[in-house]
Amino acid sequence: MSAPRLLRAQLRSKPANGHVAFIPHIRKLVFEYCDKWPSSAHTRSFLLTRLQSLARQNPHVEVVVKQRHHKEPIVRGFYANSRDKVIPLNSLEVSAIQRKVDLLLDSSGAKIKPLKRRTVESTTEATRGIWSGLHADRPSI
Amino acid sequence: MGHVQNRILTTAAKASTVARSTLPQFPPKDALFTRRKLPSTAFVPETWASIQPPPPSALSAFAHRIGLPSVLDTNEIILQACTHPSFLRPYRRQYPDAPAPETNAQLAPLGNALMGLFASEYLHAKYPYLPTRVLKAAVTAHVGPLTCASVAQEMGATPLLRWHRTVRALPKTPTDPGLLHSDAMASIPRSIAALIYQRRSLLSARQFVHSYFLSRQVDLRAMLKFSNPKKALLEMVDKFGRERPKSRLLKETGRFTNSPVFVVGIYSGADQLGEGFGSSLRMAEYRAAEDALQRVYLTRTPDHLIQLPTSTFPVGLGDVFRTDAPEGKYTAPSLVMSEIMYLSSGKRKPLRIYGVETGKEQTPA
Repeated sequence: MSAPRLLRAQLRSKPANGHVAFIPHIRKLVFEYCDKWPSSAHTRSFLLTRLQSLARQNPHVEVVVKQRHHKEPIVRGFYANSRDKVIPLNSLEVSAIQRKVDLLLDSSGAKIKPLKRRTVESTTEATRGIWSGLHADRPSI
Repeated sequence: MGHVQNRILTTAAKASTVARSTLPQFPPKDALFTRRKLPSTAFVPETWASIQPPPPSALSAFAHRIGLPSVLDTNEIILQACTHPSFLRPYRRQYPDAPAPETNAQLAPLGNALMGLFASEYLHAKYPYLPTRVLKAAVTAHVGPLTCASVAQEMGATPLLRWHRTVRALPKTPTDPGLLHSDAMASIPRSIAALIYQRRSLLSARQFVHSYFLSRQVDLRAMLKFSNPKKALLEMVDKFGRERPKSRLLKETGRFTNSPVFVVGIYSGADQLGEGFGSSLRMAEYRAAEDALQRVYLTRTPDHLIQLPTSTFPVGLGDVFRTDAPEGKYTAPSLVMSEIMYLSSGKRKPLRIYGVETGKEQTPA
């Protein structure tokens, strides 16, 4: 059996974010609001009262505020996996907007997968081992 | 999603977006028509956008994200770490009179050398019996170009990278792509390691490399490949001065059916060296020999017993070779049996000697 070659240009490692150092996934948060429409009223209030403290408490996030005339307000989060998540803010009050922003800050940016049908996925071997009938004790009565 | 949509998305992700608040004037002067005596080159918005620096908020957020706001304290130094030397060409073409931006041309090779040093000393201390070729491959897997590019992408440096896709003037192969995006991205964490070394100390740079690179998962078992594990095990056991390996059938089930399972153990005297399963006796014996070799090669030093030679350097700022500061403690580990030389030159076929007089080939005895 011949040994296939190790190609140096293809050697890579898998990430282990959080094992020693943790890099937050979110990199940018963009708030888009309208100056005139009443649907942006709560968003404007949030931007005036809570935005600066949010930016200070999360120095790893780039916070951007943009105007989006005659449109509903949104908040957009940009992540390290080059995906973005958009949440509309038109029916939310200030505390609810804060909860949605916290959701974006905590998210990894990965697509939401349904948990019900998935099998167990792991990069490491089973810690308790896989049962083997040939290695277990023979049953005795 | 289809292939075309994926390509559009990846291209859009790599394309730079310019923040209007960071520009002194928009639209830029070059975009406006001015009557000139000499005609100027056409204004290309994509090229202009790729030359503009990222907003300062993005740079400081990047420094905070990787936990180094004290080391990368100015936006200029972060921008320097994120600027590949290939960027100079389009910049000079657009602004021939402006001073050239600082690039990471000197930082990246320094950081690369430091990362190689830290990775090789750590892996050698952690896996003392690993064969040399596998050790080198493991170092490449931990701090090589693909891993560095991956780490840079996880840090969120993709929109901060300033580079230019340069095609080689004299390509090595017909399909030589020239400079790759991953190589340009890989220069960013290397430059950061070099900056930490310059601004703090070698031991701080080592801590950075250990946290971000040497904690990543690498499958070493897949790098150990044997063309004849039974012969390699025989040579290893002879070197250690033990009895010759003998394989014994431990358990079997389903012989003469379409799905037999044999469990074979390989023993040196009374000690079991390895165990393997297989659907045939030979396969099980092969796997047992492989298992025995892997148990030796992948022996790991416990974390609290790992001694690194760079720990002898004194703690604190300044030259690592200064004499006034005390050296760190280091107890040399005991030398281990050197690796088996069987097929270690990389050549698969044995050496052939051609006789001068007869012209017949003779294999060495």
